[in-house]
Parts: sequence; structure tokens; C-alpha cells
Amino acid sequence: MQFELVNVEKVYQASEETKVYGARNVNLKIAESDFMALVGPSGSGKTTILNLIAGLILPTLGTLRHGTSDITALSLEERTKHRLDYMGFIFQDYQLLPILTAAENVEFPLQLKGFSQGEIKDRVTWALAQVGLETMGHRFPKQLSGGQQQRVSIARAIAGKPQLILADEPTANLDSKTAQEIIELFKKLNQDYKLTFVFSTHDQRLIDQVKTVHYVKDGQISETRTHHA
Amino acid sequence: MRAFIFLVKFSYRNLWRAPKRTLIMLLSLAIGTGFIIWDLNFANSGSKEVMKEFLTQYAGEYHVTHRNYYNEENKKEFDIFQTFSDAEIQDKSILATSTRRVTAPVFVSGEKKTLGVLLTGIEPERERALTALPRAVNAGRFLDPEGQREIILGKRLARRIDVKIGDRVAVIGQALDGSIANDLMTVVGLLDFGGGDLEESLAFTQIQGAQEFLAMAPDRVHQRVDFNMKDDSTPVLPGLAVTHWAEILPEIGVSVQFVDNFTWIVSFIIVLVISLGLSNTLMITFFEREQEFQTLNIIGAKTSWVAKALMIEVFLLGTLAVIIGAGLGHVATTLCYYFPVDLQLFTGGQPIIMGGLIIQPLVRFYPIMAYYWKVPLLIYFFLGSTMIYPLIRVIRRSKNAI
Repeated sequence: MQFELVNVEKVYQASEETKVYGARNVNLKIAESDFMALVGPSGSGKTTILNLIAGLILPTLGTLRHGTSDITALSLEERTKHRLDYMGFIFQDYQLLPILTAAENVEFPLQLKGFSQGEIKDRVTWALAQVGLETMGHRFPKQLSGGQQQRVSIARAIAGKPQLILADEPTANLDSKTAQEIIELFKKLNQDYKLTFVFSTHDQRLIDQVKTVHYVKDGQISETRTHHA
Repeated sequence: MRAFIFLVKFSYRNLWRAPKRTLIMLLSLAIGTGFIIWDLNFANSGSKEVMKEFLTQYAGEYHVTHRNYYNEENKKEFDIFQTFSDAEIQDKSILATSTRRVTAPVFVSGEKKTLGVLLTGIEPERERALTALPRAVNAGRFLDPEGQREIILGKRLARRIDVKIGDRVAVIGQALDGSIANDLMTVVGLLDFGGGDLEESLAFTQIQGAQEFLAMAPDRVHQRVDFNMKDDSTPVLPGLAVTHWAEILPEIGVSVQFVDNFTWIVSFIIVLVISLGLSNTLMITFFEREQEFQTLNIIGAKTSWVAKALMIEVFLLGTLAVIIGAGLGHVATTLCYYFPVDLQLFTGGQPIIMGGLIIQPLVRFYPIMAYYWKVPLLIYFFLGSTMIYPLIRVIRRSKNAI
């Protein structure tokens, strides 16, 4: 099922007279196995669009759709459930839970989904193997390097095999070599498992690897480029 | 169930993510809980020991009388014409822990003065076995069981009517046959009640002499005063009245109740103060993790899940605290059972005077089981209240974005 933003506008009312457009007339379709980037300078609105896709914020105008469902019509708790069921998230600063081990971090959304213990074990093992951390599941985040933490974050995002993975500046905090490895990992997951990725980034190495690039300026998608493999 | 276990594990790990802070919170709650349990046990045992000391001196646990002896409206008033005999008591087990008394208001005259007092005819041997009255005699001696027409007077009364040991006093009163009762009695002892009012209003003589004085049959008495202090309940005796000391001496009962209630009020205040401190710490702890709560929400944890995790965290903290606190309170109470506390420590060595009697109790602490669940409930209540505001803040602010 595809995710779609139709004529979406997000206005932040700074004061009675001052309106700030976080997103303006955004139309975006995210199909299955897309590998897409929202690119733009800081404050351009790419993270706002990411938040809109996730249903974390609601548009002032326009509609968010997932298949035939209208996300904007869902309640706050329903949108949270929707994210749990269909989305995975990767953050710039990893956002792992420090009190849980790597494996338990990966397990966390699966527990929320109510999977059986056997299925949780299988999925955690699979996800950690995909990111190359099958032997480090017992370590706590502080015992892992930045790159390893980001890998755990990726394992957490993919363990539930979601329809869409949203990644906000996933390589911004990594050194060049690790960033390259992480990008390769994203590519592999997209190719091998048809996982759909939408990145918010200004990392050129990542931009070069995605299939579609949407350039965001002043809350609008100003240009779209498609890379052909 | 599996999800719940995960939730508990998550909360438990969060509880210990800042171990020093958690330990401080835990200790403050545990010490507070322990102190309150100890304090309540102290107040309860203290009240009981003081009362026991007071009641065993003279007043007794309860009085068995004719059903019309005490005025129903005011137990300070009594009717000396209402007597009974032991034959009317069906439950004879009472006889082992009680003593018979005959009481009448009389005039006692010395050389220069006459004063109204309450003359009580007592069984000297039984009184010696059951009460502390013989110990209150600080001049002369206690009544001789075989003696006749002996009287012991309060020290102040003797001074006011100007009599001393060996003097004879005239006693005049109302006999039960309608005649004027009068007799001469020899002062054999003086009672020291620490200068209290009782020293001026009480006099004692042998029960046989009092019965003759009042023209009563030898088997008739006014009261059977029981000193069975182990059981606070009053028995039911058909045809007779059983009056608890708290009804006869309501002012004493009220003061004991005041001590109990005041201790609870102090306990509330202690828990409230601890809770306010905890509330602040919890607020800081929660706010520090605000971004984490937002992440949880983004990756699919509902606000209710986050709230549950925090509530379990605080519940675990409270449970650990009350377990440790109850243990501490129990150890402290048990220590004070084996090493009783002298209440004069709190009075600068001065004796405690209660109801006109000198009280010198050593308080042995007895653990009251009810406190071991009432105090934890109090802690849970305040702890629950403490986290309401931080929780609302967390819930309100968790709806955020990447």
C-alpha cells in the first residue's frame, strides 16, 4: 500500500500576523520499495514533511493517506498504533533506550506489537544479523560505537518488517567510513527485502545512492530527480 | 502477561538508571516508613503502658455493678443503694482477676475540721495482689486484712483536717437502712498520689468495716473491679452492668485517643513532607527523560504505555521502600520491646501525674500488625499523589515530532 501526501500544507502560527510555512502544497507518493531522499538545507521543511508522513503532526490543509486510509482522520493513539504497525524509524542520534541491551532495543517495538516470544526471538536474531551485530545483542548502547548504535537503531526499525522506514539524517553523526557502511546497508536492505526508505538528508553520498531525490525549499518540493540504476 | 513482564523489566531498569538518586529516594521513603511504624508503635504502646500503670494503681479495667449503680447519663454519679452479690455473677472466671469494693460519700472529721470524701471499703489482700494502691502509702502502713476500723487517708486530706498516723477520725455518712452511719476509725497510713486531687478526696478502710458502717449484708458490694489488663474487651454479665474504665474516666480516654490521633497527624505530615521532596525529584527524573518518552511515542508506544511504565516504576520504588521501611520499623520496635523506654526520659526525670495518680511506666513496645499495612497504604497514597503532576506533564509533552 502506498503512502501519499495530497496538497499538504503545514502552517505554524508564530503570532497573529506571522505565519511560518513548514510545508506548502506538498504532493508526494511513496510506493513499495521506494528508496527516496528529501534533501534541503536546515529549516527547509524536510523534517516537517517526514513528521507529516509519520502522522506525528497533522497538516493544516490537505490529506495524508496510507492506501485507502485517511491518516488525518485518526486519533492521536490510533496514529501511534498506525506507526507501530506500518513504520520504522531511524534517528540522527540513534535514540536507543540506554537501559535496554541491543537485542532488547530491537525487541521493544515487537513487544508493543504483541508478537509471540518465538517470533520475537526469530525477528531480533534476523534483524541483528542483517546489521552485522548478531554477537553484540547483549551489549548496552553505551558499550557500542556510534556506528554500532546506528546499526541497532536500523535493526529496531526493520525487525517488524514495516511498510515504510523513515530516517532522519541517519548518517549525520557518523564518520565517513561508517556512514558509507550504513548507506550500503540501507541499499542492501532495500534491494534484498524490498524495504521502503524515505531519508531526510543532506549527505551527498546518500543522495547519490537513492533512487529518487526530492529537493525541499521553503516547505515546498521544488525539484524531483530520479536516478536510474 | 509476557508484555506485562517486559513492562515491569523496563520500569525496574529505569528505576536503577540513576542508582544514587534512586537510593536517596528509597532511603528517605524507607526511613520515613520505618520511623512512622516505630512512632505509632511507641504511641500505642506508650498509651497502653501508661493506661495500664494508671489503671492498675486503683481504677481497674472495668467495673461490675448493679445495673442501676452508675447513672447512665453520667458515670461520675452513682447510687449507693444499688448493690449486688457475687452469687449474681454467672461467669465466675471474673472473680480471679477482680476485687470487691464498697463505696460511699462520707464526712471525715479530725480535731479541727470536717471534710467530705469518698470512703472505699476494700479487700486489703486482693488489693495488694491486683493493684498498686499499697505502694502509694508513703507514711504508716497499708490496711491490715485482720484489722478493724482502720482508715488510710490521702496526704493532703490528713493535712487539711490536721490528723496524723495513730489519730482517730470520726466518719459520718448515709447508711443503706436509712439511718445515719457513724464510726470512729484509726488512721494507719497516708497515701501519696503526687499531690494530685485524689489525695484530698479518697479514704480507704477494710470492706467488712465499711459494710457494717453502711448497714450492708456481708455478701453485698457496690463494685467488683477487674484488673485483667490482657483483654481490653468487657464481658457480658446478664442482670449486671459492666462499665469500661473509658466510660468512668472519659477525660483519660480522650487524652489517650488524642495521643493516638496526634501521632497519625504527625505521620501524615512526615509522609507529606517526604512526598513533596520526592515529587520534585520525580519531576526532574521524568523531565530528563522527556526526549526518550517522545522517541517511545514515535516508535509506537502509546502514551498510556509510557504512563503505565512510569507508574510501575514509582510503585516498585514504593514497594521496595515500604518493605525496607517496615523491616527497619520492626527492628526498632523489637529493640524497644527488649529494652523498654523509660518515659521519664521525656519529662526531665519528673514523674507523670495522670488523673491524680503518679505514673512511672517503662514503655515496652509492642508491634501492632495493622500499622504494617496501614502505613504502606499511606505511603502508596501519597506516592501516587506525588506522581500525578509529573505524569500529566509527561503525557502532555510526549505528543511530539522527530
